[in-house]
Amino acid sequence: MVLEKLGEAINAGIKKITNAIFLDKKLIDGIVRDIQRSLIEADVNIELVFALSERIKKVAYDESIKGIDKKEQLVKLIHDEILSLLGKKKELKLHKKTSIMFLGLYGSGKTTTIAKLALHYSKRGRKVALLGLDTDRPAAMDQLEQMAAKAKVQAFIDKVEKDPLKIIKKYESALKKYDLVLIDTAGRDGLNKELIKQIKKLDKELKPDYRILIMPADIGQVAKTQSEEFQKALSIDGVIITRMDGTSKGGGALTACAETKAPVFFIGTGEQLHEIETFEPVAFINRLLGMGDLQSLLEKVKSASSESETKRMEDRLKEGKFTLLDLYSQLEQMNKMGSIDKLVGMIPGMSEAKVPKDLLDKQESKMKHWKSAISSMTEKEIENPQILEKETSRIKRIAKGSNTTTTEIRELLKQYKLLKEMMGLDGIQEGKIDQKTIQKMAKKFKGKIKF
Amino acid sequence: MFGSLKEKLKNWIKKSSEKNTLEKTPKKEIIKKEKSKKTPKKSSKKIKKEEKKIKEEILEDEIIENTQTIEEKSKEKKSFFGVFKRFLTEEKFEELFKGLELILLQNNVAYEAVQAVRDELSNNLIGKNIKEIDLAEELKKGIGSILINPPNFIDEIKGSLEVKSPFVILVCGINGSGKTTTIAKLANYLQKNSLSVCLAAADTFRAASIEQIEVHATNLKIPLIKKDYGSDPASVGFEGITYAKKNSIDVVLIDTAGRMQNSASLMREIEKIVKVTKPDMKIYLGESITGNDAIEQAKTFNDSINLTGIILSKADVDEKGGTAISVALVTKKPILFLGTGQNYEDLEIFDKDKLIEKLGL
Repeated sequence: MVLEKLGEAINAGIKKITNAIFLDKKLIDGIVRDIQRSLIEADVNIELVFALSERIKKVAYDESIKGIDKKEQLVKLIHDEILSLLGKKKELKLHKKTSIMFLGLYGSGKTTTIAKLALHYSKRGRKVALLGLDTDRPAAMDQLEQMAAKAKVQAFIDKVEKDPLKIIKKYESALKKYDLVLIDTAGRDGLNKELIKQIKKLDKELKPDYRILIMPADIGQVAKTQSEEFQKALSIDGVIITRMDGTSKGGGALTACAETKAPVFFIGTGEQLHEIETFEPVAFINRLLGMGDLQSLLEKVKSASSESETKRMEDRLKEGKFTLLDLYSQLEQMNKMGSIDKLVGMIPGMSEAKVPKDLLDKQESKMKHWKSAISSMTEKEIENPQILEKETSRIKRIAKGSNTTTTEIRELLKQYKLLKEMMGLDGIQEGKIDQKTIQKMAKKFKGKIKF
Repeated sequence: MFGSLKEKLKNWIKKSSEKNTLEKTPKKEIIKKEKSKKTPKKSSKKIKKEEKKIKEEILEDEIIENTQTIEEKSKEKKSFFGVFKRFLTEEKFEELFKGLELILLQNNVAYEAVQAVRDELSNNLIGKNIKEIDLAEELKKGIGSILINPPNFIDEIKGSLEVKSPFVILVCGINGSGKTTTIAKLANYLQKNSLSVCLAAADTFRAASIEQIEVHATNLKIPLIKKDYGSDPASVGFEGITYAKKNSIDVVLIDTAGRMQNSASLMREIEKIVKVTKPDMKIYLGESITGNDAIEQAKTFNDSINLTGIILSKADVDEKGGTAISVALVTKKPILFLGTGQNYEDLEIFDKDKLIEKLGL
């Protein structure tokens, strides 16, 4: 099952929350946007996606929840929201004698799935029979016959008869000998009234114990309408999702089921007859996020939390050790905060209108250059940037080695000095940067910061 | 197909242009007011004060008019900064595009494709004079730049037949997309255009696939070349071509087994079939109901065997229709036909202009 991409995006979001020093609006919006995007790409219904992001934002913006609490709550929220998107687990309970009718769109994999289930249940001691009622598609009966032979179960088919009702009559008594009857029907579009009428007729005649909808994993935004229509017409008992072995994430099918309250019983994961699994939402989400349960997830938040990072920084400052690498991580952190915007906005005389729109982009590309410049430095230079100013040949060497200019490196050094000075301010040493501190910073460095 | 998308897009364009006109009117007033005040020197401070005054006046006006929502008022304030620059800014564009984005996503256009439309539009529109922007026209261009009109299918084949015979068409796609049904429709279409056809049953994997294509061959009275289940699909294709050469048949249609694009061994198999049969046309058969994965599917098939074109099946099921845009974007290949039903005649030639027209643009 290829779900890495969706899992990655959600994990990245959780990691960002965990590592962030401040959960400000900009950061939250960014995370929500990433999760939104990944869910949309997984074909989750758009309305659901937006509703979910609103709920995340609501908690995130709530000023009354603070610090670690907020992080925990957010992670739990994301976890629970996605779990609820997947729906609840429900097992398919078989009685002593059970009949199940399968229906779905064309080419969704009804016949293959039936054969898989036949094998699944006959292995578990059931006497299984297949009933073929797909009289529309050429060779559908042959397909069921061949699949039944592979699964070593009996198939009741009629290659000539065109009326499924007559086929039902024909085999009515013969089928009574079996514990489990799996009924194959023709593919149909849930929006086609004629075909829905037909399946209703079959349903009335067969009175199956269960009606199961088959849906392919790669179905897009149509998933919702289709499942709704089938649900309306027949009250579906559950769903089996096929083609879960592809690159699609099954988001459309899965969430459509959760929304129409139809549980997902099984997922099909390949072309071979044994490739069918029961669907476990909790295990599914754990696989998606690549970690154990929620508890361990929350613990991860606590341990990997930024507190330690802030602490480390504090200690370094107290020791008077503030290197270029620290500068870099600080700058990165500040960029995330959108602090350039904030700082600029607070400096009197610098109205928004005067700040070029591409400033942040420029800053980012500058950061990239700085990063490579720092990588080109020796350990000694990183720890004591002062020596660069004394021995300018070093700057030339670094510029050459990192494909940057000496001007850029000088600028980096200037920023370093500036920030080192800034770090001397009270608030920051305590690990708190609030609006006031920023204002103080802005006042102190008015006119000194140039972008 | 495309019914709902069309309606929504129309609404969106209407709304957006309404917004635009709403915003235009107060702007004119502002300009007039400015003139009447006749500022001698445009020192920035004075202008700022004036701006405030004018802003207040506008707000009053609006309250009197009582027609605009609070949201729009705040927009007005923002756009007020743009008195001096009546150009579409990036922010304004983002705002306008948000609505369109949602509509496209709801209509099954893959996220990547939506971003492409957005880039296209933003490149064309940002910095332009707001008055000059024809939203409908730009949107039409944006979508139009993604879709490619197919060449005339029959002419293409007939042209090629003058040089080389037979014309070989390979159809591939993922499981259950409707390859066999579509091949029967294609065979029917070719026959109607007085081309002789034979089928090669190269799906030797799926149960009853050979029986299925056999039924179609009998119905349409065309020869079928088949082998046993489990035999090499490339050799079935090759034999189809040999048969066509011997019997001077114009077109060979090769039906292949459905394969998931992420199954490396099956993708190697299709590459081998291509190598052996050297098809003149490689058609990817996609479903119009597929969501975002359509991009991944079409892309992988295109990367591995360099497709000639695409057919989208089940277009009658999907009232949304965004998949056409997604698939065309990622492969940059034309969509040849749309499959629109269970009968042999249910094959529609894809027409980009018709589609755009259907969208109501």
